Parts: sequence; C-alpha cells; structure tokens
Amino acid sequence: MAQVVKINVNGTDHEVRAEPDSMLLYALRDNLGLHGPKFGCGLSECGACTVILDGVAVHSCVTPLGAAHGQKIVTLEGLSVDGKPNALQAAFIEEQAAQCGYCINGMIMTAQAFLDRHPKPSRDEIKQALNNNLCRCGTHMRIVRAVERAAGMAPAGEGAKQ
Amino acid sequence: MNEMTPVAGRGIDRRGLFKLSGGLVVAFSLFGGAEARADALPATRLGGVPDAAKLSAWLAVHPDNTATLFTGKVEVGTGVQTALAQIAAEELDFPVERLSVVMGNTWETVDQGPTYGSRTIRYAGPQIRHAAAAGRQVLLDLAAAHFKVPAERLRVNDGVIAVSNAPQRSVTYGKLVAGKRLDMTIGATGTSFAMKVAPRAKLKNPKDYTVVGTSVARKDIPGKITGTFTYIQDVKVPGMLHGRVVRPFGVQAKLLSVDETGLKEIPGFVQVVRRENFLGVVATTEWGAIQAAAKLGSVLKPKGPTAYGAKWSDWHGLSAQDHIWQTVRDTSGKNTTVSETGSVDVALHGAAKVVRATYRTPFQMHGSIGPSCAIADVRRDRATFWSGTQMPHTDRQVMATLLGVPVDRVDVHWFEASGAYGRNGLDQVVADAALMSQAVGKPVRVQWMRWDEHGWEPKGPPIAQDLAGAIDERGNVTAWRHHMWIPTFLDTTLVAAQLINQPNVGGSIGLGLPAITYAYQFPNADVTSHGEGRVALRTSWLRSPAQFETTYAMEAFIDELAASAGQDPLALRLKYLKDERAIGVLKAAAKAYGWKARPSRAGKGTGQGKLAHGRGIAWANRDDTRVATIADVTVDRTTGDIRVTRVVVAHDCGLVINPDGLRNQIEGNVIQSISRSLHEEVTFDTARVTSLDWVGYPILRFEEIPDRIDIVLVNPGDKYPAYGGGEPSTCPTAAVISNAVFDATGVRLREIPFRSDRVKALLTAA
Repeated sequence: MAQVVKINVNGTDHEVRAEPDSMLLYALRDNLGLHGPKFGCGLSECGACTVILDGVAVHSCVTPLGAAHGQKIVTLEGLSVDGKPNALQAAFIEEQAAQCGYCINGMIMTAQAFLDRHPKPSRDEIKQALNNNLCRCGTHMRIVRAVERAAGMAPAGEGAKQ
Repeated sequence: MNEMTPVAGRGIDRRGLFKLSGGLVVAFSLFGGAEARADALPATRLGGVPDAAKLSAWLAVHPDNTATLFTGKVEVGTGVQTALAQIAAEELDFPVERLSVVMGNTWETVDQGPTYGSRTIRYAGPQIRHAAAAGRQVLLDLAAAHFKVPAERLRVNDGVIAVSNAPQRSVTYGKLVAGKRLDMTIGATGTSFAMKVAPRAKLKNPKDYTVVGTSVARKDIPGKITGTFTYIQDVKVPGMLHGRVVRPFGVQAKLLSVDETGLKEIPGFVQVVRRENFLGVVATTEWGAIQAAAKLGSVLKPKGPTAYGAKWSDWHGLSAQDHIWQTVRDTSGKNTTVSETGSVDVALHGAAKVVRATYRTPFQMHGSIGPSCAIADVRRDRATFWSGTQMPHTDRQVMATLLGVPVDRVDVHWFEASGAYGRNGLDQVVADAALMSQAVGKPVRVQWMRWDEHGWEPKGPPIAQDLAGAIDERGNVTAWRHHMWIPTFLDTTLVAAQLINQPNVGGSIGLGLPAITYAYQFPNADVTSHGEGRVALRTSWLRSPAQFETTYAMEAFIDELAASAGQDPLALRLKYLKDERAIGVLKAAAKAYGWKARPSRAGKGTGQGKLAHGRGIAWANRDDTRVATIADVTVDRTTGDIRVTRVVVAHDCGLVINPDGLRNQIEGNVIQSISRSLHEEVTFDTARVTSLDWVGYPILRFEEIPDRIDIVLVNPGDKYPAYGGGEPSTCPTAAVISNAVFDATGVRLREIPFRSDRVKALLTAA
C-alpha cells in the first residue's frame, strides 16, 4: 500500500505518497513532475532514467522508492545553477550534443557523477564511463567531445555559432 | 489594415501562444504533486485546419516584435525546426532567435505532408520560404501606408522597417501589426509535398543569404540539456489515467479469456479494457498499470500463451527465422524493372569471368530509446490526442475513421518524441490510447513497455538480393544483374485495428518498392525488383527504407567485380559513372581520405598478426543527394570483432541550410548504420518476436565508435536546390564495412549483421 516516503530532490525535501516497492523513476516523473529522468527500458539496460543518488549514478527505473528514503537525489534539473546550465550542460549545448535528446539525461547524469570523481579523464575512460548508456541517434562523437570540453580538454570539433 | 482581425484565440498574444503551442504547453509544478497538469490547455481547439492561402496560416507577429512560424512539419531530432526557422527568418529579414516555431498541431498548422523521407527541407522549405517572402512584402506595404511613402523607399533590417535616408522614421514589425492576425491572402494551390504557397512572392537572391548557410544553434537543444523540454512522454492532462497494453502472446493469437484475479488488490487499478483481441489495463498510477498488465502477461519473458491472466490461443503462423529467406523468395508480388539494357544472359555466357553472389539483410527495428507514448481523450462527439507522430494530420484522419467521429471534431496536439527514424510505434500507440480512453470515458496516457516496443513496433523488412556480373579479358565489366526481393515497407495498418478485427481501418499493407538508384553505365544490365506484401512480421519505413539494403548489395558486389578484375575499387566505379555529382563526392571523399589507387589486398597486405586492417569505399544517390563514404576497419582474427576506426563522408545535398546541423545528422547516420551493419537482427520464432530488449537486440556502444568521422560538404552553396540530409548517409555504410573487411582479410560479408561469431566462422573456413 501507498506510504509516505521522504526524499530530498535537488535540494528540496519532499514527501511522496506511493508504494515503497514502486520505482523511484515514477515518483520523480509522476509525483514530482520532473522531465529530466526518462523511462527507456525499465530493465537497467539503457541509462535514460539515470539520477545521482547520494553521489552515485543509479538507474531510477529499477531503484525502489523505499530504498531512496531519506536520501539526496539530483536530477538533470538540479544540475543547473541559478537557472543556468552548469559546466557540463553548457558543454553539451556548446557542442550541440543532442539530436532527439531522449538519452541525453542519462549521458549527462552519468558523465557528471563520473567527472565528479575523475576530473581529468582520458577519452577512453569517458567512453568506458558511458558504455552502458545507449544513444540511438548516433550522437556519440559529440557527447564524448562535450564531456572532454567540460573536463577542460581541448575540444576536437567545431561548435555551432551561438 | 482592413485584412487584419483582432485576435482572441489564435496565436497572437505571446503568452497565450506559448500555452497552446510548442514545448511549453504543459505547465508543471515541482510542488504540485500528482496533480501537476496542463491547466493552461484550452478545453477544445476544434475547428478544422487553417487556410494555407492566408498568411496567418504560416506567420504571426507579436507586439514585442517576436514572431511565430507555423508548420505542419515536426521535429524528430534532425534539427528541421531550426532549419525551417532559418529559411523563414532569411526571407522575412527577421532575427532567427526571435522567431519561434509551432509544429504539427492540427488546428493551427497546414498539412505539409508527413515528416519523412529526408523531404522536409526539400519540400516544406520552399513553401515556408514563399510564405515568409510574402509576409515581408505585406509588412512593407503596411509600413508604406504607415509612413505614407512608397514601399521602394523602405529598408528592412532585423524586423525593423525604416525610411531610406531617414533612420529616425522606423517601426518594428510588432508595432506595425499591433497584435492583429495577418489575414491577408497570399495564395496556395495543391496539397502536401506538392503544395505551392504564395507563388508570386518575390524571393531573396541566395547570394544575399546571411542566415541560411550558417550554423545557427538548435532551438530545442538547451531545453533538452537542462530538463525543461517537454517530450510527448512528459505531457500530462487533467484527469488523466495511465494505460498499458497487453499484447497477444503470438502475433495473431486470439484472446480466449481474461482472469482478473488479483487485479483489484493492485493500488490504483481501475479496469481492464477488452475488445475482441485488444487488451489493456487502466490505473490511476503508472506503477499500478504496469503491475496490472504484468499479471495479465505483459512481461519481458512470458512463459506461454496461457501462463498469466490473459489466456491466448496457441498461434504459430510465422515463418521460422531460418526459413525466412525462402519465404521472401516464395512470396508473390509485382516485378518492377529499374534498368534493362542489352542482354545480360548473352554477356554472361561469353564472359571471361562470371561472379555471382547473394546478399541478405534481416528484419531490423527502429529501436527508439523512449517507448512510444500517446494520450487520448475520447468523448462521445469529439476526440483529442497528444502524440509524437511524424504525421499528425494523417493520424487525425485515421483516428476519426477508427472512432467514427467527424474529422472536424478531432484535434492532435503534437509534441516531440524520442527519435523514431521512420514509422515506429508512435502511430500505433495513438490507436491504443484511443480504444482505452473510449472504454473508460476519461483521458488515458499509454506508454509501451520496452518489450512492447521491441516486439510490436513495425520492422524494416528482410530483403534477399541475387547479383551476377560478367568481366571480359581486358577487365571490363560487360554485364550486371541485380534482382531484389523486397517485402513492403509502406504498411500503415494499425495493430489495435487488427486486434478489434477491423484490420483495414487506418491504412493498407502496401508493396515493396525498388528503392535503388542504379547509375552505372554497363553495356548489359538487368536491375529488377520483386515487390511483395507483408512477409511474417508487420513492417514499415525505417531510415533509408530498403535503400540501405540495396546499396549494400550493389556497392559490395561492384567491389567483388573490382577485386575479381584486380582493379582499384574507386577507379572501377569512376570508369562506369557519368553522374557528375556522384563522381564529385567519390573524388572528394578520396581526396579527404588520401586514397591511393590499388586493388583490394584480399587480406594479403598489412597486419598479418592478430589484427588485420583494411579500407572500403561505397556511394549512394538517395533522392538526389549524393554521398560517398570511405572507412578503415580493424578485424580481430581471433574473435571476429570488427571495429570501424576512421570514416570519411563526402555529402552533396545541394544548398545547406545549417552546416553544423547537417554534420550532426551525417555523424548520426554513420553511427546508426554502423550499428545496423555490425549488430542488428530481429529474432523471432513461429509465434512472436523474441528479441525484446537491448540484450536481445544490441546496438552500438561508446567503446565501438570510430576515432574520427571526417565530413566534406560538396556543393553547399546555391548551385543546386536543397535536397535532403536526414537519411542518405546511412546508405553506403554496410558496403563500406564489408568491402574493408574483404581488403583486410579476404573474407566477403554478404549477410547483415556482421556479428563476430559469423565473421570468425568465415575466417576459420577461409
């Protein structure tokens, strides 16, 4: 049965009324109205639902809401600072690193958690960090460049005119 | 000014406009809990479609000197929203960043045809260009009356009109229009792709372009990066319930009974929706709907047709997967001759060398990352839909037929979806939502589960191709035969309609078309397509439909002939081509790559250790866009793994609207088609699709992407009109990889996908 579960999302405390064994993704999307985390597979196979839970990138489609009780969750919306894109998001915009963009939540959240621990990664380390995130449009080259740009590495490509 | 009407409802007030259009329609509150909803949505928008002959159908100018372009085309991730805005802004002399774009909403956009086939810039571009040019003339006429000077004395810059030599006498577009609707008649004839808009509008000389041809940043990207963008999957409407489908165990199994035991205990469960063989569940929460659907049998790996609450007949009507090629060849259809020159039979008979080969390409899927989703609100006398379809105006008609509601009582609100790359489940799920909403009398949001998408999205069809070529003593190609067996990729039927035993509502199955551009000048040629109806699974158009497959066979087989004749594969192509733009892209790609003429080494060259290296080349002409691709591959002889390390693409789609947007598309086409070449094959048994997730149907991962994709844009200026860039660079990739693997190893890959186990087996047998 539905219970009250307390979670902190993007710095704000929330009481969510839902079943504890329902998945965190649905609480974030349906109860809190967030658009960042996406339903992609529900199977922990594609990464579209990724959020950062107490500093770790997790797949919210298979994380029971009850397991997030009392924890701090950051979503794509929560990366922005004073309504402005953070450094990683700005790098994605600079590189025009999206086509349909449905996977991009997972790319950015996975990359953010990775960069937080590995601020100066190699290109191969970036690819490995993102290897469980699927993109169907084929935006991979730009995604890798955007993460490199955010990490302060020399961008390899030409960004769009702003 | 007498042609402009003060507007209450439609599109002039910027605040109001945002509420009823585009990505900001649905207000949501982080603190509104489950009640976050689209309270800003109007109760109804019913009232037909706008008149394409009126300027207001295309353009609205707002008092704050912003403007809105209205188009029936939709954004599918390719960047056409921004590119179309550039085309309009250019003719309007208006800042592109102040021009927003409303797409696809059926009550406020003109039906310009579906968004498919790399046709948006090519066909909708000129329609919008003419409408915008007519709009500029209208604004100049208004300003002439305002200043009481001839229009010839006026100058326009960034949406401000000034009198020549009197810059203090200036007025913005917004002030001129003063919040009124632009009801002026600009004229329009024809429909869809063939519509001609404002035929007498005076167009800007392309030599004077300042916005078209520049890499304007895409309008949609910042919202997608920060999480403020609203996809169809994010839309909520007041009173909305959540639905999930429960598909038959076997594709055409009959629903025998439904045991609802345990459903009432699921929190939020509302009801089962059953109509003939259509089955769904509705709940107040997504989780409740998912749990209820699972009890009835909607799970990743169902144990059998009667193992869950829904009991299905034990249906086994599909061709077995290992028999599919024979089924493709045995299916009756219609032959179409693409090219018939001389006598291939005579030439083959007298040839010094004859080469024959068969190429096979399997069912593949669109594989959207976000499963298909739609909302329907079906009432007794009207119906409203929220959809991410690539054809909202068509779906409006189809839903009117399905529901028996007059078409002028149906609206479709369009929102962007996860990329579809063709007709995936997005149209199918609209019908699912319609049936569920009709049954419960409330708005219902339906999102497919991953296994629904993998299992029931219409697939790209399996294609078999036989080729034969003749070579004379001097190494000339004297004959070319290419026979194709192509099942339909134009199937527009609906699963839901089939399940309620009305299979012909909404569309037809269609026939496979000869999707090929044959351009070689061989003295004897026979290129024939055998177009068929449905073979086994439901199919539809998938990026470069059938031409990805026919280009693979054509361009790999010419490589076989070049190798057999001991000639450089680029030189052999150039010897038999007259098409200047084809020659242009081949030479441009070769130059960028640093191509040195030599025959394929057939594995006898470099890399004799564990890793073998090779290069491949191929080209295509898809709907007047020419593209040539060259790639380097590395083959691991011990595992059969192929890695594409470097790709060079030369691309000529005529006038380029947004170079960086086009490059983004080309990179995407290259990576997606590498994935299709190396990994992708739908698996099925005699009852159903069995590759139901990303484990069963893997796609390319980051560790496999090329190190470099170099792109050369050929003829990007105004020498040619703008053709399409959404698909063509998909076409050459499979042949390029197959040819490069032959160069590296001497093994010829004639069946997609080039999975490592297949490659290893061929290497072992060689």
